[in-house]
Amino acid sequence: MAMDSSYGDEFAVGCFLSIKTTLGDEFEGQIITFDKLSNILVLQEGSKTGPRRNIRLLKANYIKDFTLLGQAEDPLDHKKCYLDLASLQAREEAAIRQAELEAVRIGVGVTSEAQSVFDALSKTLPVHWDKTVIVVMNEVRVSSPYLPENVIGGTPAANDRVKKVLEFERKRLHARGPSQ
Amino acid sequence: MSLQQVVQPRPSANGFGRRRVEREMGSRLDSKPHSGKSNPNSFTIAGAPNGSKVGGYESPSRDWLIYLTTCLIGHHVEVQVKNGSSFSGIFHATNAEKDYGVILKMARLIKDGSFRGQKSLSESIGKPPSKTLIIPAKELVQIIAKGVPLSGDGLANGLQCEKRKDIMIDSLISHSHHVDVQRELERWTPVEDDLQLPELENIFDNPWNRNWDQFETNEALFGVKSTFDEELYTTKLERGPKMRELEREASRIAREIEGEETLDLHLAEERGFCFHEDFDIDEETRFSSVFRGVDDSGYEESEDTTLDSRNTETFGGSSGTVISRSFSDVARGRTDGAQASSSSLSMDEAQSSQSIASKDLHRLSSIDHAKQLTSDCVSKSGKSRMHENQFREQHGGKSYSTESTERKICRVGEETQTSKSEDKVGLSPSATAFAPSSSVSSKGQENASLVGSSDSIGAGTIKAVNSRGRSGSSTSSTSEFVAAPSASSGPGLSPSSSVGSLSSEKSSLNPNAKEFKLNPNAKSFMPSQTPLRPPSPVSEGSFYFPANVSAVPHMHTVPVGIGIAPSFGHQPVIYNPQATPVQSPQPYVHPNGPLYGQQMILGHPRQVLYMPSYPQASFGPAKLPP
Repeated sequence: MAMDSSYGDEFAVGCFLSIKTTLGDEFEGQIITFDKLSNILVLQEGSKTGPRRNIRLLKANYIKDFTLLGQAEDPLDHKKCYLDLASLQAREEAAIRQAELEAVRIGVGVTSEAQSVFDALSKTLPVHWDKTVIVVMNEVRVSSPYLPENVIGGTPAANDRVKKVLEFERKRLHARGPSQ
Repeated sequence: MSLQQVVQPRPSANGFGRRRVEREMGSRLDSKPHSGKSNPNSFTIAGAPNGSKVGGYESPSRDWLIYLTTCLIGHHVEVQVKNGSSFSGIFHATNAEKDYGVILKMARLIKDGSFRGQKSLSESIGKPPSKTLIIPAKELVQIIAKGVPLSGDGLANGLQCEKRKDIMIDSLISHSHHVDVQRELERWTPVEDDLQLPELENIFDNPWNRNWDQFETNEALFGVKSTFDEELYTTKLERGPKMRELEREASRIAREIEGEETLDLHLAEERGFCFHEDFDIDEETRFSSVFRGVDDSGYEESEDTTLDSRNTETFGGSSGTVISRSFSDVARGRTDGAQASSSSLSMDEAQSSQSIASKDLHRLSSIDHAKQLTSDCVSKSGKSRMHENQFREQHGGKSYSTESTERKICRVGEETQTSKSEDKVGLSPSATAFAPSSSVSSKGQENASLVGSSDSIGAGTIKAVNSRGRSGSSTSSTSEFVAAPSASSGPGLSPSSSVGSLSSEKSSLNPNAKEFKLNPNAKSFMPSQTPLRPPSPVSEGSFYFPANVSAVPHMHTVPVGIGIAPSFGHQPVIYNPQATPVQSPQPYVHPNGPLYGQQMILGHPRQVLYMPSYPQASFGPAKLPP
């Protein structure tokens, strides 16, 4: 098979490399495999032992520079490698479900401050987005700039409660510092 | 290249619209409508077992790539693209046939490397993730995934983890990826001064001398004047020269009691007996207050303590305890307490009494003494309950004279005790006829008389039993009687109930009462919804049922309308479906009898449990609905 000679033996499985990419990333890892066809190098990073590893698939043509740090044996136990497609699919579905749930919580086109206010409120109150308005308990609306004065609607009791929570959360956010 | 519309499909995409990742950052990368076409099958699902899908290239390294890529499916990954931007999403598929394109689901831009400049990560949060994001192979730089289970163990664990994730545990529900950064947590280190808090250490050392008077403090702080008078709550202590002797005596008694052996696990633990070392007792038995009734092994004298505690546990309530105690006392020959206990017996739960009673019933041997019952002991429960009981008893099939007695007792329980002397008269020394006889006579009075008699009977029985030293059982029986009319099963049994005492409000224990023996085979109380219980096989053990219960006629007075065939004459009411008339005065208790109690709580008799083999005439006026 024709292969790029520069990527020849250096990419033997088990080698420890230190790599610099053209995009500025630097990392070290152990080669798990290298596919010449697609030119993808699969590395295992970190010294984590056990079944769970941090892996990185890197297109080899983005390697700016690398050095061979050492050589070890294959990090993968070939005997133990098998796939359970069903569980993989289940995992994917679960992850998607989870991500969808979380996606709802994000306001579109709102500032990060607004988002953090939303998150803070959501800890104790049922909230959801209505464009850029935070709707609490389906009654009370908090619009930009999400100050206690912007709390509108709902029963007086609910309104007060939201105001209180909002004030408190804002204080907390400020106390935490502007960094987020 | 137009990035908004579906671009002409690249050959390897098999008709897929591809969208360049690189774009103004503000643009939405939602390629949903097009990604709809991204059927996984159009891509080679990485890791598909059939390696043949891999375009015919058979390099083993390719296989490994496929394998590893497959391991990534469903995992959260970061994909970096040519312009430096990074996307985070769920790895969905890859096109491994030709080149290596990637499809992510719910992808978000996390790093913007476009010409627009670096925007802070937070800004990008304000955008919803793309449902599907296709990254062409040409754009792909690298894929980073953390914590990927690669080999067998990891996969198995991963599956478990996923399964667990589906269960909405609290931490999952409350967990949010957008968690606020909490303040910096510091480990607590004790400050120097904190170490010197002596009060905390010896706070329990000397309860009587803590140099602290709450009343004083309250008055000082809040101006609250206390009206606490110790003697309102406890026996007045005779302070004086005799005090020391009394104290000594009291502590001696206390020591005696506390040093008693007990079979009850909890008491034993309290008293320091580690008797369960050789037992294979699980935590529940040791620490739970639910009485499973499995250890009803002995009915020795020491049992009373156990029973007491058990009863107390099961039924909770101070009343139960009181009853137990009082009866224990009685059992021990102290009669003073009995009265008090009887009074306190006004129960709440028939059930408790029932269950206990059932046990006790077994033990009740023919009690020949008349007992004096405290009428107050009788609890007033709905008549229906009593009736129900009766029905149940009958239905139980093995209702024997006991049943009738029970019934009567029930009724008695329900009503206030106004034992008429006439009621008592009817009671024979054998006590079997206690309630029945009296009640019979007072047809009209029904409840009142019944109650009265039953009360006395029941009480008497109980008392008698107690005096036998079976405090435990007596307790139960007492409770049964007192507590609930349903308890009738038990209470009625005490044959030795002193009828005479019925009329009197005072209760006096019969010192000659036969001791109540707990039947180890007694069934524990099992609350059940159905008021009726099918006849159950009679368990071995002595059964008590009041023989010679002239109660038969008494049956008529049952307001419930359970027809008690007058034909029964003087037979002890044996409502045995098998219709085996029990002749012997042997105390016999239907094994189900005690259980009836539980059911009777149900308030209204549902079916006529009584299925005598006698002619239907036995049924009373009221036909109970089935």
